[in-house]
Amino acid sequence: MRYGRSRKTPTLSHWLAGVFLFVSAWLHGVAVQAADILLTGAEDSPGVQAFVQALSELRPTDSVRFQPLASLPAPGKLPASLRLVLLDLPSLDWRLQEPQGPATLVLRISRLQARQRLGSSQPARLSLLWSDPPLSRQLQLIRQILPQARRVGVLFGEHSEFLLKELNLAAEPLGLHVFSQRWDNIHDSRPLQAVLKNSDVLLGLDDPDLYSPKTAKNLLLSSYSRQTALVGPNIAFVRAGSLASTYSDQHDWLSLLDQLLDQPPASWPRALYPARFKVSSNAQVARSLGIEPPDDVSVASLLAEGERRP
Amino acid sequence: MSAGSLPSRSSLLLALLVCPAAQADDLFVDSEALPQVLTATRLKQTPAEVPGSMTVLDNELINASGARDISELLRLVPGMMVGNISGNQAAVNYHGTNASEARRMQVLIDGRSVYRAGLATVDWSDIPVAIEDIERVEVFRGPNTVSYGANALMAVVNIITRHPADSHGTRLKYTRGQRGINDFYASQGSSWNGGDLRLSLSGQEDDGFDSDRSGADYRDSRRLNRLSLAVSHTLSDDQSLDWQINAKDGTNQRPYTYQPVFSGITAAGNNSDVVAKDYAGSVRWNLDINPQHSLYVQGSAQHWDRQQTWRACDAEVSFSPELTQLWQLNPNYTERLARNITRFTGPGAAPGTPQEMALANQVLDQWRNGASRTLCGDIDQSARESRYDLELQDTLSLSDSLRLVSGLNYRYDRADSETYFNGTLDDTTWRAFGQLEWRATEHWLLQGGAMFEDTRLVGNSLTPRFAVNYLINPRHSLRAVYSEAIRSPDMFENNVNWSYQVSNLRPSAYGQSSARYFVKTRGPGDLDQEHMRSRELGYNGYFAEIGLALDVKLFYDEITGMISEPLRNNQYIASNANNSRFRGTETQLDWRVSRADRLRFTYAFVDAEASNPLDQQFTSRNSGSAGWLRDWGHGWNSALFYYGDNALNGYRFERVDTRIAKRIPLGKAQLQLAGVLQQRLDHEPNTFVDNNYDERRVMYFSAELEF
Repeated sequence: MRYGRSRKTPTLSHWLAGVFLFVSAWLHGVAVQAADILLTGAEDSPGVQAFVQALSELRPTDSVRFQPLASLPAPGKLPASLRLVLLDLPSLDWRLQEPQGPATLVLRISRLQARQRLGSSQPARLSLLWSDPPLSRQLQLIRQILPQARRVGVLFGEHSEFLLKELNLAAEPLGLHVFSQRWDNIHDSRPLQAVLKNSDVLLGLDDPDLYSPKTAKNLLLSSYSRQTALVGPNIAFVRAGSLASTYSDQHDWLSLLDQLLDQPPASWPRALYPARFKVSSNAQVARSLGIEPPDDVSVASLLAEGERRP
Repeated sequence: MSAGSLPSRSSLLLALLVCPAAQADDLFVDSEALPQVLTATRLKQTPAEVPGSMTVLDNELINASGARDISELLRLVPGMMVGNISGNQAAVNYHGTNASEARRMQVLIDGRSVYRAGLATVDWSDIPVAIEDIERVEVFRGPNTVSYGANALMAVVNIITRHPADSHGTRLKYTRGQRGINDFYASQGSSWNGGDLRLSLSGQEDDGFDSDRSGADYRDSRRLNRLSLAVSHTLSDDQSLDWQINAKDGTNQRPYTYQPVFSGITAAGNNSDVVAKDYAGSVRWNLDINPQHSLYVQGSAQHWDRQQTWRACDAEVSFSPELTQLWQLNPNYTERLARNITRFTGPGAAPGTPQEMALANQVLDQWRNGASRTLCGDIDQSARESRYDLELQDTLSLSDSLRLVSGLNYRYDRADSETYFNGTLDDTTWRAFGQLEWRATEHWLLQGGAMFEDTRLVGNSLTPRFAVNYLINPRHSLRAVYSEAIRSPDMFENNVNWSYQVSNLRPSAYGQSSARYFVKTRGPGDLDQEHMRSRELGYNGYFAEIGLALDVKLFYDEITGMISEPLRNNQYIASNANNSRFRGTETQLDWRVSRADRLRFTYAFVDAEASNPLDQQFTSRNSGSAGWLRDWGHGWNSALFYYGDNALNGYRFERVDTRIAKRIPLGKAQLQLAGVLQQRLDHEPNTFVDNNYDERRVMYFSAELEF
């Protein structure tokens, strides 16, 4: 177990908790079979360390460790009892070298990235945990904060086109109409103009070809000048001027991992969106669009309740 | 957090610095470095927060109206009085005042004032912007010199063109119709890494009105071409540069209106047409210092060139040095003598001072000795005006609830005209302005500001402005506004030095082929600014559930020190002696009834009272508009508008406009065919007695290709 050296100095209570956990783990270790959890990624970072640390605190009976990708053998050479957690795309590429290997949870991967790497195939022993906000949840968010919006504009590209079918299916029962528009060349703003002209709100797909630092200014200024809100695609965009988005943070992911690691790998789902999430909105933008700034916590709990009782 | 105090500001900045760093630790929250685009300084006020009343004519409405002129669009603004001096001279004023001189409204194109530097007018037809390039028109209904500078006395019309980044591709449009309507528009927009541009060319032609009061053909057609280039560069994440070049060249016909002063003159010229050229260029540098602080520097140069020469005929005695001298002594006495000269040839000069009588008798001698013969010569009434403007505006968001907009402006105006100024006249203006917006609580929004202006020719002034908005919720508000505003007399009103040097005289006058006409008019040179005090109570609301936006206001405006003498060259005696007041109510309603239907309604009741009856002419007590826009599906759209004024300059105006359009996709391109029909419902002339159409109906069609 490694501690973040630069950022977080453990306080006395952390130390005491650590000692307590160690002692209790040692006492239980005799009776209970501890799981061996290996997290890996191409790069180590304070963020990775903080996550590994938090997971190990959550699962005191298991052995939780991080090992950089470069130091790992081929996946097939790892013990089958190991539970592997992948933290980035290079580690996924490494894992995909061989179909054999331990049961694997893939984190920090979006639907789009998976599609680009895997096509529509679903490799065995892999459980994909999506990082992009689910479309149905984003649509519900629109219903919640912009109840008058009916026409949802969506820009899509070559890589995100496959999401449209699902988006339309999710929109229909909500009484929303999706106006989709292909945007292949980000230097040509006509598709953006067309979509803004035909929609009450713009929903951003997590497609880095379309939603990137290069396009952010044009997207946000054009939609704002037409008094059309952008919802999504991620929290960075909300800070830049998007109205709101749902997202799951480390806390939410830890709780999901904890849940999954309690189960035998055979019962892990092949793909899953985290059930726990938060809402982030930009109050200044809301106010300027004449919308009561949403209460993020209560909107999130309303949405969550809706998901529990569909 | 106590708003406005310095500690709160620093703690806010601290929080902003710390927040992203704290989140960067979270492996799952996207830590992609994205600049904040919609910053506190870029965000605008909602309609409910605006410290006054505002009408926005959006792109959809502009298209649906089928209007070919910006002035015609303004019929959609409650309280706006839109008329015509002739077919190519629109008269637009908010609430009223003089019908032929509309000079109390500020008109801006992308922040640049198009109010003419020297001659106190806005030449609506000559504004070098095609209606197809306009994104929207924002009309601030009420005085606002604090934000827009002097001349924003009664209202501000802010014309915003489409951003180059929003106008990619090619557009070609051709319009043809009755009354000689023949317009074209072509634009090309493209982008490269870090920049966008739009180049557009356009032209307009029509015959104006058909006949004058006598039923004769009215000479008021127009023909013009425009070029406009708008470029926008992103220099870095926090800097951008926008620049524009606009040019317009055209001819406006003017009827020959010169009436010989002396009797027995029958020869005459046949027109006094104007060649009008407008050039403008502007550069604006935007800098975002941080998300809470931004500024821009805008510089612009404009040039108005009006070439107007015509041939006029009168008696040789008009150029008599003695008559000129007599005019300078006593214009009234001289005018009586000149207009009735044949009555004095027998009995001699009318009673007056010995000097006047001596001069008058000399003039009568000249008349008897052959100076009664007809001379014709060229009159040059051309004017060239230039304006250079430099403005710095700074927007500082001191906290979530406090925002300060302040700035400095320098302007240099120059007018060059032999006829009006006997050469060149110039003026410089300095301005400093500031406006503070304070969200005291969730419900109370207080806004106040002031502008200081110093004009070399007129002097200085300070105008304040206060507004309180009570926000029932973010979409509904009540407001109370008090503002003062000023209008500096322009060079023409204050410093005119009006006389005609007539050239190419045939036969020569007193042996000269070029001579000065005897009438000479000088401006007083000591005029003060006009002063307006305006009070307003209003409600603005948006009912999101049903898509209805509503604005209602009550107003009471007074103008004192008003310069209301008409600009004529015989005995122009301008003064600040007049005053007027306007009171009434205005309503505007915009209702998106369904996805396919939009209804719009405006109404204004204006009661005007003026010390000079001329200033009451251009007020229609009841005026308004109603519109219905519908999208029928399958590419079909229709719009139906009604416009009405019960009496504008004494004439009723009622018109119904219909536009039907069909979009046809042609592969990647799109063709739009549209037809507009305008039907007058009354039988009266348009604003003035000479403005008549033979038919009460006009039709024109357009085809537009976009790819």
